[in-house]
Amino acid sequence: MTTPPHLHRPGAGSATVTDTALAGPPVGGFLPEDIGAALDRRRARLRSDVSLAARVLPTHYPLPTFIAVNPLDGLRHLPFHAAAQRAGELYGARATLPESSYRRYHAQGRITDRDLAAVLTRRYPHLLDQPPLSLGGRAVELLSVLRADLLHGQPAPDPVRVYRSISEQAAPAVADRVDALSSRWCAAFLTSDTSAWPMPGRRDGFYPAWRDLAHRDRTLTRAARAALRALPARAEDAALTALHTLGVAEGVQRDYLTAHLTRQPGWAAHIRWRSEHPAPARIDLLDYLALRLTYETLLLVGHDRPRVPATTAAPNSAVRPAGLAARAATTCTALGIEGPSAPELAAVARALTALPATDRVEVWLEAFEHHYRTDLLTTLLPGPGAPLARTPASATEPATPSTSAAAAESAAESTMESTMAAARPPAQLVCCIDTRSEGLRRNLETLGDYETLGFAGFFAMPIRYTDLADGAPSDLCPVLIKPAFAVTETPATTPDARVDTAATARRHLNGLQSLTGADTGFHDAKDDPVSPFALAEATGWVAGPLSAAKTLTPRHSATVARRLRHRITPPVPTDISIDTAITLADRTLYARVALATMGLTRNFARLVVFCAHGSTTTNHPYQAALDCGACGGQRGGPTARTAAAIINDPAVRAELAAHGISIPTDSWFLAAEHDTATDRVTTLDDHLTPTSHHHDLDQLRRDLALAGQRLSAERCADLPAAPTRTLTAPGRAARHTGTRSADWAQTYPEWGLAGNAAFIIGPREHTRRLDLHRRVFLHSYRHQDDPDGAALETILTAPLVVAYWINAQYYFSTVAPGVFGAGTKTIHNVLGGIGVLSGHAGDLQLGLPWQSVATADTLVHEPMRLLTVIHAPTDRTDTIIDRNPILQELLHGQWLTFTTYNDATGTWHQRTPIGWQPWPTPTQPPAAHLHPLETRNPA
Amino acid sequence: MNRDDLTKMTKIEVVVTGADAPAVHDLFRTAGATGYTSLSGVSGLGHHGYHQGRLLFNQQATLELLITVVPDHKADTLLDGLRTLLQDTAGVMFLTDTYVSRPDYFT
Repeated sequence: MTTPPHLHRPGAGSATVTDTALAGPPVGGFLPEDIGAALDRRRARLRSDVSLAARVLPTHYPLPTFIAVNPLDGLRHLPFHAAAQRAGELYGARATLPESSYRRYHAQGRITDRDLAAVLTRRYPHLLDQPPLSLGGRAVELLSVLRADLLHGQPAPDPVRVYRSISEQAAPAVADRVDALSSRWCAAFLTSDTSAWPMPGRRDGFYPAWRDLAHRDRTLTRAARAALRALPARAEDAALTALHTLGVAEGVQRDYLTAHLTRQPGWAAHIRWRSEHPAPARIDLLDYLALRLTYETLLLVGHDRPRVPATTAAPNSAVRPAGLAARAATTCTALGIEGPSAPELAAVARALTALPATDRVEVWLEAFEHHYRTDLLTTLLPGPGAPLARTPASATEPATPSTSAAAAESAAESTMESTMAAARPPAQLVCCIDTRSEGLRRNLETLGDYETLGFAGFFAMPIRYTDLADGAPSDLCPVLIKPAFAVTETPATTPDARVDTAATARRHLNGLQSLTGADTGFHDAKDDPVSPFALAEATGWVAGPLSAAKTLTPRHSATVARRLRHRITPPVPTDISIDTAITLADRTLYARVALATMGLTRNFARLVVFCAHGSTTTNHPYQAALDCGACGGQRGGPTARTAAAIINDPAVRAELAAHGISIPTDSWFLAAEHDTATDRVTTLDDHLTPTSHHHDLDQLRRDLALAGQRLSAERCADLPAAPTRTLTAPGRAARHTGTRSADWAQTYPEWGLAGNAAFIIGPREHTRRLDLHRRVFLHSYRHQDDPDGAALETILTAPLVVAYWINAQYYFSTVAPGVFGAGTKTIHNVLGGIGVLSGHAGDLQLGLPWQSVATADTLVHEPMRLLTVIHAPTDRTDTIIDRNPILQELLHGQWLTFTTYNDATGTWHQRTPIGWQPWPTPTQPPAAHLHPLETRNPA
Repeated sequence: MNRDDLTKMTKIEVVVTGADAPAVHDLFRTAGATGYTSLSGVSGLGHHGYHQGRLLFNQQATLELLITVVPDHKADTLLDGLRTLLQDTAGVMFLTDTYVSRPDYFT
């Protein structure tokens, strides 16, 4: 092997012949006068090309703050199906289920002929006007022809990755070696902060550290190592040199960079995330690409390769879809046409041109969605004489509501107000919009006249939170925003002289310090090269029985551990520092926003609970995926405590009253946290609750406990290997979910948000008596209280966007688990705090594990795009869409769907690029899985 | 106005979405700009219609105005990078001559 001459570079920084090559095509071997400036410009263009190439990458958050994102968000500017096709070209990934899966759903009745007909009619309205075909002596409707093709046509081939590097095209073994080397160096660098043997020189950044070490790699040839020793000091120059050697012209370099970035999208996505966040050591995509391109250049020496890389050409091995003639013949057979004539085949082929084989999955997906959506909308239909939402009389009506509609609205509002004024609920529970909250709310509502509301789980309090232990602060807010306030937890200042909070806090902190020290010492000893032997000798006698106990009796072991922990670190009542952290003006502003956006501005109960959520699991790397997405993948308790503390502040209440929100003096706000793994709800800051409310709180706690047990029983029906007797015994079910939560070998502690499919924005009255099976995000909203649409705009541009991300992540983790999911948990290797590998090497895994969406080969999550139901006047929604490009992209690109109910016509309407169009009127009763809920007795 | 005591430089203003702002920051940094000013949540009417300004709980979907001032000799490098970036990004760039009183702040 010879050393590539371009990599021999006498020194960095000075203008050389190599600089000439980098700055542009050499001209007669002469140096341009402004070679330095030209090189700087070339470097800048390369940086921009890297940024543009990286836009297609998914976003990857590290494990401690793992939150759901749409892996194709970089393609959001494209319509969904175009983005799906592009994902195939970039990753070779499917963006829908395979046709065989949809056909199975059809055979099971999950997709019906009616669904297919509805979708085909909507996509091809002209088909209804076409005369039927005459086939085999009978008339066959065109819809039947397309349906036969959908059901029996040869499946379209899987997509093939088109963006491929030279090594992928000409020497796959080299491409694999480049992947292995880049994975190894990325893992070494990115885990340096947590590993026992950090990468030398990492403080200088990734590229300099790698450059100093790479030439020591004895697995490479002597020539390659010599070339690595001579690498330039700047990553840009190394990348430009490699691109020049590979023959990649500047005009196509972006595609070439895309090919490298999408080859291992997990690493690239994580590096991009890290480059945009503060980190102790710097790495960016240019560093990463410099490494990959350099290795590719070196390892390709001696291999045949194309002179000009065809970066975006489909490989010759790609399977082509069946031709029209073959499809026509198959369709005729499916239709029972024996020996069709040539004209008959030609007629069928002409009909099939309307639906290319590669587009059939689009029809299947839409039919799959149509079935669920129609059932849901039918279920949501109001009873006779009960208007669902006060929308303008006509769906196509201009912005100003008609006089009659306004009058009807006013009358309805007045009726509602009087009803509300008459009945003050014993308590109001404000839960996160998370689909899991629907089950808790529904079960609690059956136990009394409780009112429940849905709101983003950070309760409009974007805080950076530091707990009592004073460790690293956590950003508790959606990743769409930055924290606005730094809030700290401090020992409570209690007027009770019998309680020495400061002393308890000291004991708590000392205990915590001891536990942390013991934990750190244990892990240091474990990671050290020698001490593990001594550690095993010293602790093996107790570690073995402990492990056995954790395996055999997880719940009891967890209880013992918890009690022991409480003894060492006694619980201490604490406060949240709102007075010093947030000005009165801001406290008032955020309180107003929270209450107005959730539609809670009057008729306050004696107890108003902000119920956050989190999930307690053991040995579960994807813990953060089960916590609150609105709190940046963390437990939401601190945000609920902050919100409650602010609204209980008398100064804030006085300001709120001045703004028209009068909270009675006997209304007390408190925080709680719903553990979605065990369905236990824990009230927080009990020491602050006035004694006058203790009775109310005790009753609420009892009902929350019962509601949680019933919810556990519901969930046990879906959890793998849950004993059948848990279905009818809520107490037993609660114990079972507690056991799963503590079991360190449990791969299905809970289903998270699997099944999510819709987002409803409106008053709870419209969904209160329905069992929505924990599949729907519920955001409370009263359009009557939002005349300027500000609250609706906030909901549509923030909570809805987060819900769309969650929906998309579940969707793509299901349809393309190998690329956008994380594969099976059983072979996961956790890599520092950044992510997981499948096995011991390879790419960083994106998305959710297979056990979050399926059991073995059975899907639990039904991959559908998000249906959004908005109870608001259509003109208000239109105005908001018109001024927010993100909504236009999502809506017009069919990433999600907006529907609303029209009182005047008694039908649902769907927002399309040409306005609101009627949803096909359902004529059948809803499916069994969406039956109306009967109110159950508390007993 | 007497500009004898001022130093001529180049001011570059870029309006991009919040999601694209990190790429612009990166270009500023690597092109040698010593600092920049950032205004988030800017609103206005443009090629793609009206853009809503500040959204309460979404800073990524809004537009961001980024302003930097660089010596003329660094401007060309930055412009090359920005023009490449804006080829496929929904954003605009404005370039103007400007004068500063403390040139050492910008070099």
